Amino acid sequence: MKVLIIGAGEVGFNIASRLVNENKDVVVIDENPEAIRRVSDNIDAQVVTASGSNPISLIEAGIKDAEIVLAVTNSDETNLVACLVADMLSPSTKKLARIRNADFNLYHDHFRKYAPHIDTLINPEIEVVKTIYRMINMPGVVDVGEFADGRIKFIGIVLDEKAQLAGTRLSELSRISEKQRPLIVAVIRKEKLIIPRGNDYLLPGDLIYFICEKEKILDTLAVFDKSEAPVQSVLIIGGGTIGMRLARLLDEKSVYTKIIEKNSDRCARLAEQLNKTLVLHGDGSDQELLKEENVHDIDVVVTLTGDEEINILASLLAKQMGAKKTITKISKFGYFPIMSTIGIERVVSPRLSAINTILQHIRHGKVLSSISIKGEQAEFMEAVALETSDIVGKPLKNISFPKGAILAGIIREKIFIIPDGDSIINPNDMIIIFARRQDIPKVEKILAVKLEYF
Amino acid sequence: MRWRYIISIVGVLTIFLGLAMILPLIVGLYYNDQSVIPVLKSIGITICSGFLLYIFFRKNKAEVILQREGIAIVAFGWTIVCLFGALPFYLGGEINSFVDAFFESVSGFTTTGATILTNVEAISKGILFWRSFIQWLGGMGIILLSLAILPFLGVGGMQLYKAEVPTPVPDKLKPKLRDTAMILWKVYALITLAELILLLIGGMSFYDALCHTFTTMPTGGFSTKNASIFHYNSVYFDIVFMVFMLLAAINFSLHYQLLKGKPLAFWRNSECRFFLGFVFLLIIIVSYNVYGPIYEKIGDALRFGSFQVISIITTTGYATADYEKWPAMSQVILFFCMFMGASAGSTGGGMKFIRIMLCFKYCYKELFSLIHPHAVVKIKMGGKPISDDIMRSILGFLALYIILFAFCSLSLAGMGVDYITSFGAVAAAIGNVGPGFGLVGPVGNYAQIPFFGKWMLIWCMLLGRLEIYTVIILLVPAFWRK
Repeated sequence: MKVLIIGAGEVGFNIASRLVNENKDVVVIDENPEAIRRVSDNIDAQVVTASGSNPISLIEAGIKDAEIVLAVTNSDETNLVACLVADMLSPSTKKLARIRNADFNLYHDHFRKYAPHIDTLINPEIEVVKTIYRMINMPGVVDVGEFADGRIKFIGIVLDEKAQLAGTRLSELSRISEKQRPLIVAVIRKEKLIIPRGNDYLLPGDLIYFICEKEKILDTLAVFDKSEAPVQSVLIIGGGTIGMRLARLLDEKSVYTKIIEKNSDRCARLAEQLNKTLVLHGDGSDQELLKEENVHDIDVVVTLTGDEEINILASLLAKQMGAKKTITKISKFGYFPIMSTIGIERVVSPRLSAINTILQHIRHGKVLSSISIKGEQAEFMEAVALETSDIVGKPLKNISFPKGAILAGIIREKIFIIPDGDSIINPNDMIIIFARRQDIPKVEKILAVKLEYF
Repeated sequence: MRWRYIISIVGVLTIFLGLAMILPLIVGLYYNDQSVIPVLKSIGITICSGFLLYIFFRKNKAEVILQREGIAIVAFGWTIVCLFGALPFYLGGEINSFVDAFFESVSGFTTTGATILTNVEAISKGILFWRSFIQWLGGMGIILLSLAILPFLGVGGMQLYKAEVPTPVPDKLKPKLRDTAMILWKVYALITLAELILLLIGGMSFYDALCHTFTTMPTGGFSTKNASIFHYNSVYFDIVFMVFMLLAAINFSLHYQLLKGKPLAFWRNSECRFFLGFVFLLIIIVSYNVYGPIYEKIGDALRFGSFQVISIITTTGYATADYEKWPAMSQVILFFCMFMGASAGSTGGGMKFIRIMLCFKYCYKELFSLIHPHAVVKIKMGGKPISDDIMRSILGFLALYIILFAFCSLSLAGMGVDYITSFGAVAAAIGNVGPGFGLVGPVGNYAQIPFFGKWMLIWCMLLGRLEIYTVIILLVPAFWRK
């Protein structure tokens, strides 16, 4: 399968490297020779140094036999024009565009039906706002995502020293918490991802990922000794697109919100757009300002400025000054590994969510959604079990699953089943699979290899 | 630098080489000659050593290769492969000293075609086949071959590709390096097959046709005959060899485009156009120059003149005439041809035409900006701008080429070799041509070069094949620092 990626920025680069690892043919186009060199030095992909909206360079990059075009430059306009030109040259190619301007959201259908025929518009900012909101609402949660239209969630938490489950063996879990046995799919210990088996232990400080139904989240969190009063106040630092959208959402939910923004014009705009939110003009990393605004009484501080370093420092400062929870926006993937070391637990990244959304659409077979977890070492995939697939119709213990993968759940006619060795997958069941990055091609193979027959 | 990793990959290359030795073994068995036992021994030693290197140094995980490591893998890989490739020559006793065997092996893999053998025809068939076959392997590149076959090199393969492929601007034909390598090798094998068939039609014996095909396509130049191609003294063979030497000296991605149904591919590429035009011009000059004093018939002048020009400029090094008896002008032209060499991305050696063209364009740009000091001028090639980085690396390459030529010929002269031979031998070794001037001319050989001179020429041949940077960088102290 050939994929054309327009834009070799952080998003384009990471998608390219993921797809190449999954053995796809990738061509990357970018105008910037530096960005192109980074790709050609690190990734086994073909590169074209040219504008991605230029028809001649698109032909040169082989648009005609590409199955998918991803327009992921920083500019909405370039992406749209690139899709338009691609549509002209090769109508059968599937097109995805990253569009950050929220005003386009209402017109998704138009874009699909008419001229550029863009199959999917991706707006990472909206995804990020949703993620932040979920994190705000769930006690102790550092990472969260959802499947099956939000009915099933995966949740990442850090196990406290005092938690009753600390030091427990996984196989004893069902004995301790009879009702709510959480299905633990992964443990991240010292930045290393472990897919736990029955005789692995849970240790304090572990980042634990588990899956559960929406209604049972609070109960399950209680099993891990995570419970807090509902959030009443939020401070947002940085009033960009994400900041504003988050503030508006919190406004609607009647959470007391303050937003700090440096640029006075932007502040004026924020004040016009937001009703109950208190707009403050100032520097988010200014200690005096934070003190003035009683940061120690704030439940959650969210740092969303365009500058990663300021976000990190402001989060650390707010925490130091007594904020209960912080959520930090980070785009540079290089920083992920050090986050928990320097004491930042909750991280959101628009780029990572853009990559997640895009990957969902590229997966072979009927993979409906896929979400990468922290540091991208592993992925959740949600898929429909095809009748022709190898996994259907026999007990799970007879299926040779790749070592780095785990079947995390089966959804049959809206009922969520936590699988064990004797469970059988029926055709058209939804299944949730968690897999390490290097095992993803194998999983894809089990799910879809026979799809080729159609 | 992760030496373990580098050594383990070199180990895999060595195993490969051992497997390649099975072919001369088959040839030896067929003719039932004295090469069977030494080749068997070589296979054993090579495969075992490769296996040990791999087993002791391997790591479980395939890793990304950094640029520096890529260079180290290519440079050491080539050296080790040449070393093991010398075993069949040495173990059979057909070449007595180890340095001679190593010289012959390096001359083979680097597609130079310089030989220390005085009587080629006395060598056993199996060994002679190996001598031709290693040229074929080295022509398109042993690393490229492993990239096509071994999946695990794909991770950082681009670094290896850049270090081995003879071109200033490496480009990919396909998104995946592995596919690119596969295509290049397939095109190479296809053209080789075509030449083999044409030689067989001309009535050459299968063994000789195979050996000569294996040395034309990599622009190598080893022959199984003492008199090289003149042994056949046939116009048909001369023409077949000329055509295929030229084909081998043209960028292989153009062959690929041609095969994919773009008939104008050669014409559209400015390097190729310029190269063919220039060769044509030189043929006219040299033929005119030798017409009269050497050859009485215009047909002969054209035939031998063009063969020698093509043979030298493509850095093949076949001979149908002793050009040292030609007028001075022809000799000087041939001497310069040794430097110019073939096109980028071909199997030929030398400086490569594209570099020379860009160098001239650069000089013109400098002159132009003296006339128009405020003019903004970009150097372009085929309508595409060439970045300053590439331009700088090309100028550096050309400077290093000349400096190394000067240094090495000076040292060779210092060892007591006469000055014509010194110039000729070094130019022919760095340019991967083969025959030079003086003692090492088309009727001579490298046997009389002193011991250290041979080692230096070995180094020169590797320098030329791996395009200088990959080899010379090992002498830079910063390369070894952590």
